[in-house]
Amino acid sequence: MPSRQYATFEVADQLFGVDVAQVQEVLRFHEYTRVPLAPTSVGGLFNLRGQVIAAVDLRVQLGLPPRDLNVPAMNVIVSVDDEWVSLLVDRIGEVIELDDEAFEPPPDTLAGAYRNLIVGTFKLQDRLMLALDARRAADTTVPVPVGQHA
Amino acid sequence: MDELGDIIQEFLVESHENLDQLDRDLVALEQDPGSREMLSSIFRTIHTIKGTSGFLAFHRLETLTHAGESLLSRLRDGAQRMNPASADALLAMVDTVRKLLESIEETGGEGDVDVETVIAMVTACIEDPSAPKPEPAAPQAAPAAEAKPAKSAKPRTAKAKAEPEAVEDAPAETPAETPVEEPAEAPKKPVEAPAAEAPKKPAPRESATEETGQNTKRSIADSSIRVDVDLLDTLMRLVGELVLTRNQIVRGVSEISDPVLARTTQRLNLITSELQESVMKTRMQPIDHIWSKLPRVVRDLSGALGKQVALAMEGKETELDRSLLEAVKDPLTHLVRNAVDHGIETVEERVAKGKPGQGTLTLRAYHEGGHVIVEIKDDGAGIDVERVAQTALDRGVVTRDQLARMESREIISLVFRPGFSTAKKVTNVSGRGVGMDVVKTNIEQIGGAVDVDSTLGKGTTWRLTIPLTLAIIQALTVECGAERYAIPQVGVDELVFVDGQSGQAIEHVSGAPVYRLRGKLLPLVRLDETLGLPVRNSDRDVYIAVLQADGRRFGLVVDRVLNTEEIVVKPLTGRMKDVGVYAGATIVGDGKVALILDIPSLARRSHLAAEAAERAQLDQVDNRPRGGDIERLLIAGIGERRVAIPLDMVTRLEEFPVERIERVGSREVVQYRDHILPVIRLASLLGCYDVQEGETVPAVVYTERGRSVALVVEQIVDIVEDHIEARSDLDDDGLTGSAVIQQRVTELLDVRRAILAADPRFYTEMSEITDSMVGA
Repeated sequence: MPSRQYATFEVADQLFGVDVAQVQEVLRFHEYTRVPLAPTSVGGLFNLRGQVIAAVDLRVQLGLPPRDLNVPAMNVIVSVDDEWVSLLVDRIGEVIELDDEAFEPPPDTLAGAYRNLIVGTFKLQDRLMLALDARRAADTTVPVPVGQHA
Repeated sequence: MDELGDIIQEFLVESHENLDQLDRDLVALEQDPGSREMLSSIFRTIHTIKGTSGFLAFHRLETLTHAGESLLSRLRDGAQRMNPASADALLAMVDTVRKLLESIEETGGEGDVDVETVIAMVTACIEDPSAPKPEPAAPQAAPAAEAKPAKSAKPRTAKAKAEPEAVEDAPAETPAETPVEEPAEAPKKPVEAPAAEAPKKPAPRESATEETGQNTKRSIADSSIRVDVDLLDTLMRLVGELVLTRNQIVRGVSEISDPVLARTTQRLNLITSELQESVMKTRMQPIDHIWSKLPRVVRDLSGALGKQVALAMEGKETELDRSLLEAVKDPLTHLVRNAVDHGIETVEERVAKGKPGQGTLTLRAYHEGGHVIVEIKDDGAGIDVERVAQTALDRGVVTRDQLARMESREIISLVFRPGFSTAKKVTNVSGRGVGMDVVKTNIEQIGGAVDVDSTLGKGTTWRLTIPLTLAIIQALTVECGAERYAIPQVGVDELVFVDGQSGQAIEHVSGAPVYRLRGKLLPLVRLDETLGLPVRNSDRDVYIAVLQADGRRFGLVVDRVLNTEEIVVKPLTGRMKDVGVYAGATIVGDGKVALILDIPSLARRSHLAAEAAERAQLDQVDNRPRGGDIERLLIAGIGERRVAIPLDMVTRLEEFPVERIERVGSREVVQYRDHILPVIRLASLLGCYDVQEGETVPAVVYTERGRSVALVVEQIVDIVEDHIEARSDLDDDGLTGSAVIQQRVTELLDVRRAILAADPRFYTEMSEITDSMVGA
């Protein structure tokens, strides 16, 4: 049965996952350079071994208030269109292997910002994992729709 | 000699690459004979080979490609259509070019490769496009007598000797001592040729490398090697990883406190830093690398054209990323050749015009506003706008209507359009209207720009603006709102410290901040305000970086100036570029990311302040000659601003003890000569923050329409005489404008209007209060 590996992480107590093939690495970092005038979803820039990486605040992307960047945050570095972008998350979870059969399209009740970023849901034993579209999650040019998680 | 060896080597590598592409293009063209784009591309390739072979004095190659170019030119311009015959002829030409290149590679000369047959074949197509396919056997006949050495039996020793010599001697004679490979199957099955040749593609390069390794003479001469830029990128990334690991080790070791380990770590630390620096530098090369070949180009070309041209170069050491350098090379050569060919006149013409017989061609390279600018400037004939316009019309590049709306600068820019040429006759050097088109395309491909500026009779300047992706630049680092920003040093004229004590301060004109720099008004841009950061509430002890961009000078107000350092410019991703204020990002000494400010875009933001400052400056100038009424003005200071009040409205200057100011409702009053005098604070009128008060406050008693008001100011500065023109443009807020009085920006105040603007009910309510008091 075809299956896929997901790197999981939590944002606002919700479990998310991205295809592990897209994840370059995960690291904790705390010194971000703010980018005035940039969209609020751009948490800041940081130096990853000589590369300037933009950190995207997933909370903002999900329509939540921005994260306090003075507290160290976890960075999930994903590769989007040959470019590295960091997704700022609360907590890192395990890498889990899931059968494609467990995949379901996002429920109709899912609203607003979540709906834009989610490609589907996986039912785990005790909770739901939302599969994130890394490209859309990293895209800060799209205005964040108003509306909260249902 | 070594330089020429290099040129030939590069010419060969490039041409082989180009030819492979050409084969594919020609075959594709046969399928789609109408594709102008494809034809233009083929045409350019051949043109490039022709140009280079011309100055390397490979005459057969030049004649051959010239013939091919003529046919292509007709095809491109739609004078005739592509048909199998012309395709065969062109492919045969490509094959012969290949043969010639092989011969050059092996022997350093063109050998005995027969070109006449192919030229005849190509020419036949030009004269009569529908001519039957020429005898394919023809080209075979000529070289048939030649020996046919196997690839493995290349005469290496001969080559090593022959190549540099050949270059020197080439213009005089073509060395023919070495046999060449027979152009066996080439013209027979031209269409299949590309397929057969394709796997051979890397061959020329391999053999070149091989020889470099085996031949001591070359390897000494050739101290550099071609390295794939991707490999350098990989190296760069690896070094980055190493730096991070080093940092972790350094941190770990400091906790262990083992002296031996500490020393080793120290060494590791240094070596890593040096390695990082070196790897970074591998990608950077001075522009001299491509300039060094130009004196020869200019010399040969001017010689051939009977002109005298002196070549001057400025800024040879300007460094550019290797890949950018590569991209700039061809356009630069084109422009230089063009300047010598079309720009600079012959000695006779120059003398007749009263110019020195020798023309001057100047190359300049420098950093400006985050770009590298390369200028090619000649003191030649200049571009004739009329002639450009006429040609553009004749060629259908523009319509008469479009032309009528164009400025002369725009008309000159038409020379960049494909298929445009103003040359009176087609010369062998340039002038098929291909050069400028190539220049523009190539430069724009790397995100740069080309423009041209020309004065008829005086000369022409071509400017290449090249982005500095990955370039290392000098930058000034400043601090503003707890973050650091880098400003490209090229745009920085000077730094000014605004000392709170010295009285030199930031002033305001119509609300726009300006600074008086040596008597001239400098419009200011506050970085914190521009970036939407919390604005500091005092202009004391700040720095002004005086910047220059887009022909505009302005000051950038920052909290602190840190230092100047060399930074590596990292491009920003699209999402940040849209903001518009940043030219890129960089990593500063401690590893943090700093944003690089885009000076031109800040300059645009300074526009408003600049206009205000210009107006104020103009007022100053205008007022003098006008000789209007001399007006006496009272100058009062408030905070850092100065305000002028017409003196004939002022009845007295008073000093009131603070405790005598009393309050009636929300108003302040003072008892004065048995009257109650309403008190107005200038600070609140102007919306300034309140000033520290002493025991007494200076006040201007001001009377208008029978009503008196005490205007409390911070300080009475002076009484001056000045020419003030009658102002009709009274603003509602009572500030009637500004002028430079005693070299300081001073705002002219209409007190009554100012009061009404701040408090519309002031006069009515005050009269009630004062009247009742008087009555009592």
